[in-house]
Amino acid sequence: MVLEEEIPKFAAWIGPAFVAYLFAAGLVAVFAAALAWLVQSVMHGPLAAGDRVYRGVLGTLADLGGMSPRRIWALARLAVQESLRRNVLVVLGLFAVIILFAGWFLDPASVNPGKLYLGFILSATNLLVCLVVLVLSVFSLPADIKAKAIQTVTTKPVRTCEIVLGRMLGFALVGTVLLAVMGAVGWAFVVRSVRHEHELLADDVVEIKADDGSAAGFEGRTSLVRGHRHRVELDADGTGRTDTVQGHRHSVRMLEQGGVKTCEVGPPEGLLEARKPLRGTLRFLDRQGKPSTKGISVGAEWSYRQYIEGGSLAAAIWTFTGLTEREFPDGLPLEMIVRVFRTYKGDIEKGIAGSVRVRNPATGLQSDPIYFTAKEFTIDSLVIPRQVVTTTADGGTRQVDLFTDLVTDGTVEIVLQCLEPAQYYGVAQADFYLRRGSGSFAVNYAKSCLGAWFSMLLVTALGVMFSTFLAGPVALLATLAVVLVGQFREFIQRLFESQVTGDSQLAPGGGPIESLYRIVTQQSITLELDPSPAVTAMKAVDTLLLAPMRLGAAIFPSLSSLGTGDFLTGGFDIPFDLVGAHAAETLGYLLAFFVVGAVCLKAREVAA
Amino acid sequence: MHFSWVVNDPPSGPFPAGHFSIQPEVFRFVVHEGPNLTMDASAAGRAADDREVIVAARNLSKTYRDFWGRSKKVALKPLDLEIRRGEIFGLLGPNGSGKTTTMKLLLGLIFPSSGEALLFGRDATDVTKNERVGYLPEETYLYKFLDAEETLDFYGRLFDMPPEERKRRADALIAMVGLSRDKKRQLREYSKGMTRRIGIAQALINDPELVLLDEPTSGLDPIGTREMKDLIIDLKKRGKTVIMSSHLLADVEDVCDRIAVLHQGELKELGRVEDLLRVTDVTQIRARGLPSAAVEEVRAVLQRHGGADIEVGNPTTTLEELFLEVVRDTEARPGRRARQADRNA
Repeated sequence: MVLEEEIPKFAAWIGPAFVAYLFAAGLVAVFAAALAWLVQSVMHGPLAAGDRVYRGVLGTLADLGGMSPRRIWALARLAVQESLRRNVLVVLGLFAVIILFAGWFLDPASVNPGKLYLGFILSATNLLVCLVVLVLSVFSLPADIKAKAIQTVTTKPVRTCEIVLGRMLGFALVGTVLLAVMGAVGWAFVVRSVRHEHELLADDVVEIKADDGSAAGFEGRTSLVRGHRHRVELDADGTGRTDTVQGHRHSVRMLEQGGVKTCEVGPPEGLLEARKPLRGTLRFLDRQGKPSTKGISVGAEWSYRQYIEGGSLAAAIWTFTGLTEREFPDGLPLEMIVRVFRTYKGDIEKGIAGSVRVRNPATGLQSDPIYFTAKEFTIDSLVIPRQVVTTTADGGTRQVDLFTDLVTDGTVEIVLQCLEPAQYYGVAQADFYLRRGSGSFAVNYAKSCLGAWFSMLLVTALGVMFSTFLAGPVALLATLAVVLVGQFREFIQRLFESQVTGDSQLAPGGGPIESLYRIVTQQSITLELDPSPAVTAMKAVDTLLLAPMRLGAAIFPSLSSLGTGDFLTGGFDIPFDLVGAHAAETLGYLLAFFVVGAVCLKAREVAA
Repeated sequence: MHFSWVVNDPPSGPFPAGHFSIQPEVFRFVVHEGPNLTMDASAAGRAADDREVIVAARNLSKTYRDFWGRSKKVALKPLDLEIRRGEIFGLLGPNGSGKTTTMKLLLGLIFPSSGEALLFGRDATDVTKNERVGYLPEETYLYKFLDAEETLDFYGRLFDMPPEERKRRADALIAMVGLSRDKKRQLREYSKGMTRRIGIAQALINDPELVLLDEPTSGLDPIGTREMKDLIIDLKKRGKTVIMSSHLLADVEDVCDRIAVLHQGELKELGRVEDLLRVTDVTQIRARGLPSAAVEEVRAVLQRHGGADIEVGNPTTTLEELFLEVVRDTEARPGRRARQADRNA
């Protein structure tokens, strides 16, 4: 799982975030008031315009103060009833059909079926629910205005903000119920899909003799189920585990009853997990062993991972803090995702050997290397035991205790090195962690659904907001545009920067017009266009077109950044700090959309 | 000058039997004393009235504009109006004359281009005034997927009424408008008349002090129309103020205390209905159960005293004539009040 930025602690994050939010909200409010005043000035003159804007602001504040839960609930209920009348529950049928197809077409023999099924269910659920609330929310208010039913409502003591909030609430409620049902069905689908049993016949198990002829254990192979089988190794008393295939393994027990041997293979373990990692900070040593902030770049690649050279002094060092003996009584369970960059092919079936050492940052005492083989694309796990061996100054070895000798104030360093010369290890800070244990997968799944819920809320609020001043289809397009701008937030920011600075390497291909020109003339995006006045003009227009998109990218939410599906499918526990930050972000946007919608509807002549 | 609704030539013979057979015992004698008729329009406007002003329009006007702010249609020219507690006020005018625009302005559904509308002394756009207002739109714009009970419950909630009160008022109103048997049916299944009834019920859910009815009798059959008029008069008896708009003159004449006649967005007439319609130089005698011999005798007596243009017949709608006169007058001399023009002549 890729984690480009560290997740800040919620308590530390919320304060500055709130201040930034207030600042942005104030800025937008002032800008909106100025714009309203300008428009009104053209129509009524500056003084009357000032009066109108002032009264508008006062009126909105008075409206907010006069809101009544009963009215809001009545309007929310109406929105729910309207949704039901529009046969919104049909979408559940559609979801059932999608699941049926998924059952046929998703390959249970894939490398990581848990990830495949979970990813599919999550995106299907998210997309369906967002689409439903989008259509519901953008067409509701315009339809009411067109059918004039709004006139019978606004002539009651209903505040416009209640109309907006009631709608948002009602459709959000519909979306919530849909999401809950789909989430539960999806959960059952995933759990049932990945659950499987292997058979292990006693006849397939061979006894292994030790050198002295005593029984050392057993080994064998399970039956082939869902495109995979496991190798089994049992110790002498008949218990053991299978190897890890498709991201899981099984526990195995051999029983003997009345002289008949039978094997029991347990359910898959590690398939649907919520690992709780303790992550450290990463620094490097270069090939001469000197400290360095960066590793080696192996080409124009994603800078997320840095590389260390094998067979040299280069090392990646993680510093972990906050370790307690109570939490890790049996040693440090290390899990790592190590990428390999090969400068020669070697034996492609074999992994690249590496070592891990534990080092005390205070005393400099370090353990002897513990060797492992980096199996790419899976999580390698390794337990550093409580008693580790160190080499003393005189060349001898001695046993030291992990916590008494190698950990000082809860801090320890772990040094990773690649052993094979001319091969490289690619590492990222988040790829190497101590496993604190597992959270409940069900809770993790629920947290992930919460991310989908936030997206759904934002889409609902956006739809309702746009529908207060746009016709239904236009509001639909506007909402989609905002979602897209949010989705491509970083790209748009980069593109705009490249337009302004003229650095085309930032975002090759240029803005919308230039891209279109390149498509039509079939020119590669990596080639610079020949300078000409036309090209200059085209780039200028592109910059103008990109400016509002850049502004939008700065203002609008990015729904995908609220998604925590990567954590779930990657098998990591979704931190509550992240969920909390997402919740706060969503709430901030919801509040903004609500106020904008309320103001727009209030300024509108609903009966004109 | 003669108004066109007076027949100058008295009918030569008795009315056809069929004409009398409807209401044989009611006759109406109308005697024109001379050619000059006056309609005292200003008297009502000036009438000293110390009742509370419920609705006031001051220089209220509305011009619809397009997106670029260009004037598209002048829907209402500056209007001054005061309506007091307990009045039934009629807005009268042909289609497109500005009746509905006036109502929407009073309700704050649209915003005035100039001037102001005050209800209970508060600006029309102030939402709190709606606590005391009931509104029946031109066509009943309700949610068709709700049934009658749900509809009234919904609007009751919008008034922040507690559940028991909502239930009580909804039941009473459904019974009042005669929909008890159909209260569980969705409004989409309702006939136009039934929709109108549930419309009036929702307008009264909050027991409003001021009721605005836009074309209350449209779509109603004669019985329904009668019931609607009775209801309006009943509202007045209970001290409510009613503003209704209509182009159906008989309706307005039957129930309204005062009327304003609008045409092309302009106020043409304003006053008490009886003042507007009183023709001071015409004497009207009504009698019940008069034998035809007596009728002839009375006619002779009237003739003997110099009465001209004697007319014998059943009561007729006369507002229609006023209405048509206003329209004709406006088209001949735009921009002036019909009666003022007369007086100046």
